[in-house]
Amino acid sequence: MGAGASSMMGPEGYGRGRSQTSLGDMPESCVALVLLYLDPQEICLVARLNRAFRGAASADCVWAAKLPANYRYLAALAAAADDECGCDESTEGNGRCCSSAAIKKEIYARLCRPTPFHGGTKEFWIEKNSGGLCLSISSKAMAITCIDDRRYWSLLPTEESRFHSVSYLQQIWWLEVVGEIDFCFPAGSYSLFFRLHLGLPRKRMGRRVSGSELIHGWDIKPTQFQLSTSDDQHSTSERYLERPGTWILYHVGDFVVSSSDELTKLKFSMMQIDCTHTKGGLCVDSVFIYPKDHQHEKERIICK
Amino acid sequence: MASAGESGDGADGKGVTTITIISSDNEAFEVLEAAASMSLTIRHLIEDGCADGGIPLPNVTAGILAKVLEYCSKHVAAVAASSEAGSSSNAADAAAAPEKEEDLASFDKAFIDVEQDTLYDLLMAANYLEVKGLLDLACQKVADMIKGKTPDAIRQTFKIKNDFSPEQEEKIREENQWAFE
Repeated sequence: MGAGASSMMGPEGYGRGRSQTSLGDMPESCVALVLLYLDPQEICLVARLNRAFRGAASADCVWAAKLPANYRYLAALAAAADDECGCDESTEGNGRCCSSAAIKKEIYARLCRPTPFHGGTKEFWIEKNSGGLCLSISSKAMAITCIDDRRYWSLLPTEESRFHSVSYLQQIWWLEVVGEIDFCFPAGSYSLFFRLHLGLPRKRMGRRVSGSELIHGWDIKPTQFQLSTSDDQHSTSERYLERPGTWILYHVGDFVVSSSDELTKLKFSMMQIDCTHTKGGLCVDSVFIYPKDHQHEKERIICK
Repeated sequence: MASAGESGDGADGKGVTTITIISSDNEAFEVLEAAASMSLTIRHLIEDGCADGGIPLPNVTAGILAKVLEYCSKHVAAVAASSEAGSSSNAADAAAAPEKEEDLASFDKAFIDVEQDTLYDLLMAANYLEVKGLLDLACQKVADMIKGKTPDAIRQTFKIKNDFSPEQEEKIREENQWAFE
């Protein structure tokens, strides 16, 4: 990447001291070199400084370094989802389209917004400042034993879930929740979590669920979590579910993806099938997959 | 090898070759070929056999060239020292390795702690001469001067002239709002 700044040089080249040019006069190509060392938020902040900064802040060479390795695959999924829902390009600001004409900055901005797929039961997005891929899989996409039996399970609308509803367990002997996903992950390490809540969610729409909110059975035997990949990585953990009234991310395990171009198949589950005791009063929202060193802001994490 | 400079008389008998580099204001600098080759631009000129009588750099003045060559010489010496330590079976040498890395890091930190004009010239020269380590160092330094500041503070630090109208600037702010939501 050349600086192309010959017009900014003095007659004797770079280094004639405090005469003509300085950092305030940096040409766009030079600013772009510096922007590679800033994170996306900072780049978007300096876009307004002057024309050179604005041009550099939109340069493909800057955003190419920020996009995940498989951004074309992700952008295609986003474009398909936007087509499906007939998203109006004029409503949103920057970053609403992933057409082939979109510049890389627009693609980055679009990928930061969640893209639903599989009938809205799954979502992916990239983390704003790291570009790391995140996924969430709703309990609606998982196989839950006896899910259709209203004695045991019900679907509760709530704004506390990004999928707008959670699976609520009144009481059961055999708790088994299994899910899977096939996705192309950018190469790297990831952590998988179950997002769970003991007790009814506080914010819920529609009528109150009848019956008492009886949280029980979680401290008798631990709940078992498992994760496996198509390339034979396995992880298990056991936890006593705890802290009623709070959403908790229970860390199941980690997995490593070596190639950004290959489909990774994941299977994950949570089970508590000791039939000497019943358990209940649990909301199962979803599974989250985050890059391994992702900074979690809001939720409590229970780690392995 | 068709290069200028004599074979040095390295006491260790390695036969170190030197190269002459000539700044835009006609000052000549003699440096180890290995150091000069940290600049890809210069390395290609050497490989193309253009080094006879010295390599002229019409784009770089003596002051900045001196600093660039100082950086290259220091880094080349550090690489040589660490590979010596690596092949040495002396435990003390191996133990000294992280310390030497720290020395290099302090050198870099002090080296790039210069006035803005010099920093800019170093950045442009490192880019033109393709000295990756120095370019990284200079860009990171400028980036560090930007981080954590408001746009107005950045403009003040670098004496950047705002060539936008308030309306244009507001439009740009809106366009980039997605990064802050």
